[in-house]
Amino acid sequence: MNLKKLLLNGRVLLLLLVILVSIITIVSQGITYGLDVSGGVEITAQLENPVDQSTMEEVRTSLETRLNTLGVKDITLEPWGDQIIKIRVANVTEEEANSIINTINRQGVFYAEFNGIIFATGADINRVDQVSYDPREGAWIVPFSISKEAAEKFAQLALGKVGYPVDIFLDPPVDSLLIVPQELYSLMSSGEFQFSSDAKPLPSRLKEAFNIDIVPYGNQSIEEIAKLARGKEKVILVEVNSDLESQLKNLGIKVEERELRAGESADDFVRRVLGLYGPYRLQEGLTTGEPHTELAISIGGSKEDITAMKQAQVVSVVLRSGSLPVKVFVEGVNYIPPTLGEQFKKQVLQAGLAALLVVGLVVYLHYRKVKIAVPVVLTSLSEVVAILGVAALIKWNLDLPSIAGIIAAIGTGVDQQIVITDELLGGIKVGKITKRSGILKRMGRAFFVIWASATTTIVAMSFLFRFFVGGLRGFAFTTILGVLIGILITRPAYAEIAKVLLSEKR
Amino acid sequence: MLENTLKKLALTEPKKMITYPLIVFLVAVLVLAVHFPNLGTDLKGGVVITLHGGNVNSLDVETLLKQQNFDVTVREIKSITGDTRIEIRASTDVNVQGIIDIVKSKYPGVTISQTQFGPSLSRTAQEQSLKAVSMAFIGMAVVVFLFFRIPLPSLTVIFSAFSDMVIALALMSVFGLELTQATIAALLMLIGYSVDSNILLTTKLLRRKEDTIEGAYFSAVSTGFTMSTTTLGALASLWVLSQAEVIDMIAAVLIFGLLADFMNTWILNAGVLRWYLQRGEKR
Repeated sequence: MNLKKLLLNGRVLLLLLVILVSIITIVSQGITYGLDVSGGVEITAQLENPVDQSTMEEVRTSLETRLNTLGVKDITLEPWGDQIIKIRVANVTEEEANSIINTINRQGVFYAEFNGIIFATGADINRVDQVSYDPREGAWIVPFSISKEAAEKFAQLALGKVGYPVDIFLDPPVDSLLIVPQELYSLMSSGEFQFSSDAKPLPSRLKEAFNIDIVPYGNQSIEEIAKLARGKEKVILVEVNSDLESQLKNLGIKVEERELRAGESADDFVRRVLGLYGPYRLQEGLTTGEPHTELAISIGGSKEDITAMKQAQVVSVVLRSGSLPVKVFVEGVNYIPPTLGEQFKKQVLQAGLAALLVVGLVVYLHYRKVKIAVPVVLTSLSEVVAILGVAALIKWNLDLPSIAGIIAAIGTGVDQQIVITDELLGGIKVGKITKRSGILKRMGRAFFVIWASATTTIVAMSFLFRFFVGGLRGFAFTTILGVLIGILITRPAYAEIAKVLLSEKR
Repeated sequence: MLENTLKKLALTEPKKMITYPLIVFLVAVLVLAVHFPNLGTDLKGGVVITLHGGNVNSLDVETLLKQQNFDVTVREIKSITGDTRIEIRASTDVNVQGIIDIVKSKYPGVTISQTQFGPSLSRTAQEQSLKAVSMAFIGMAVVVFLFFRIPLPSLTVIFSAFSDMVIALALMSVFGLELTQATIAALLMLIGYSVDSNILLTTKLLRRKEDTIEGAYFSAVSTGFTMSTTTLGALASLWVLSQAEVIDMIAAVLIFGLLADFMNTWILNAGVLRWYLQRGEKR
């Protein structure tokens, strides 16, 4: 009878509802783990000096564009404050992690190339203007200006060559041998990248400008490939079976692999592998032999065409990246191999369960009542579920400090449940105070203690949350969350449950 | 037996109760003056490469790397469950990949994790830590004052929290734990725990209506004892079962702090409060 009354109590109902919703959220959304649990690398990149928000965004996009050419999946870049960008990549090998670090440390290398000749580098870009839409042309425009020398060189090269392709590159794989499947080779040599049949095809342009050799894969022997790789810095296997990789490595040749991503078209893949933007068709006005320092790249599309606009922005970033307003360098690295993370996850789970059991045992030893020990453990467990539910809902990265925070919150939670229990028991033991007012007064005192300590914990932790850039924000976050859920939901419910269970005894 | 000990505590002379915790506090201050805990890599800057698994001997690794002219220190960390890990430390300008390559070719079976903290990042972390700790402490003090509004008991609560942190720091120095972002978070968490028990005691004694001072103290101290033992039990199981360094360090510092807190709350703060209340009664 009491049980029914208890279940219909508003506070208990609220707790049950929260647990239910949390479980549904956890099951449907899943929990996102931090890199120290799931394995991966977290890189803290620092800007030379503090910048405003728009510059920060520019640096972020530029880094993202450059890192994307590396062929590593799921890179997230997140600016922190005005001087730091956090780069997180899940599930990477050590080599991949290191190539990411190297790319960040190296300034972006920009080249503009025409018919196999480099006519401008990052240093020649003087200014890049805001991306804008030109309704007359029906295109998104990226205006920029280049140095006088580059303009003169370009004017000579471009004389009379209307419709030829102009390529721009960011971090191309200079001095390398690319082994590609036959279809990709045909695509690279096709009109798609050549425009005019008089112009040189893309593979020849790459060879002349960057010493990049493109070779179609036709089951060549390892010796043949090794021979081709002579005088190159590395071999890049593009969508070619990985058997070659270990064989070439055994010969002491540096090998990298590139794979097509889901949903990526073949020509986008080619561009990503080469670090190529464009090619852009040479307009008539630039082929008169007269030098122009003010140039523009236009990307056709309507004003509402988001893809075209994004493309234009990427081009603008690429143009700028050779001369980014600030230098970026790697300040911090945290690399956890995926297997190790898996191990941590298991241990923490075991430790958490053991901690709950120990709490139950100690509480039982003190009160010698299963009736108290079980509700205390269950209330704590429901608190864990509720915290995880919120974490799943807002996709909080659950890293090790966050998990430690959950455990810390449970610790204070149990303390407060004991305060409640003792106040209730005290009333029964001493004065047989069965009057409602007596219980209310005791509960009031218990909750005064609980509110005071919860407020202090929240105040102390919110400073940690506010001032820390590092992973310890996670610790502060889950602690605050746990304490809030505790005082608002689980503690009131526990008080109701304990009232019923303990008064039954009489 | 336990009950008797707690009862004896309840009957001790207040002035005596105050003396011992103060002596412990002074000893802790002395320990810190002589040897403050070392700063961890995240606050000092540097590189840590950790080798997990594989049968690796720290001396072998050290000689191997020193032969190649790497300026490193290597130490072995044994956990209670018997696993060992090897920690290689160096300054930031070292060739990390070079070290990893050498170790990997010699011991192909190990799993390697690495952490790097550049000088300006660690400086920022230091500044942030200092800011977070001092602001949190001030915030705590304000909240305690607002809840009690009586100067002496409030000041005692604040002092106990401070003393908890100082004693925990001294124990860290004794046991060779480093001051890192993780241990700083644990020290901040101590503020929460410490205020918990102190507020319980203060409330019980100041708002007591039905009991004598001794009775109220006894009821509070038995609650407090249950609280501390459950938390200590939970933290100890965490410390034993997990090998993740962050979790281990947080658990260890919280255990130190809770032990200190038991003394500071139930002996120091109780002594001050009883003395304060007795004086009030005499008037």
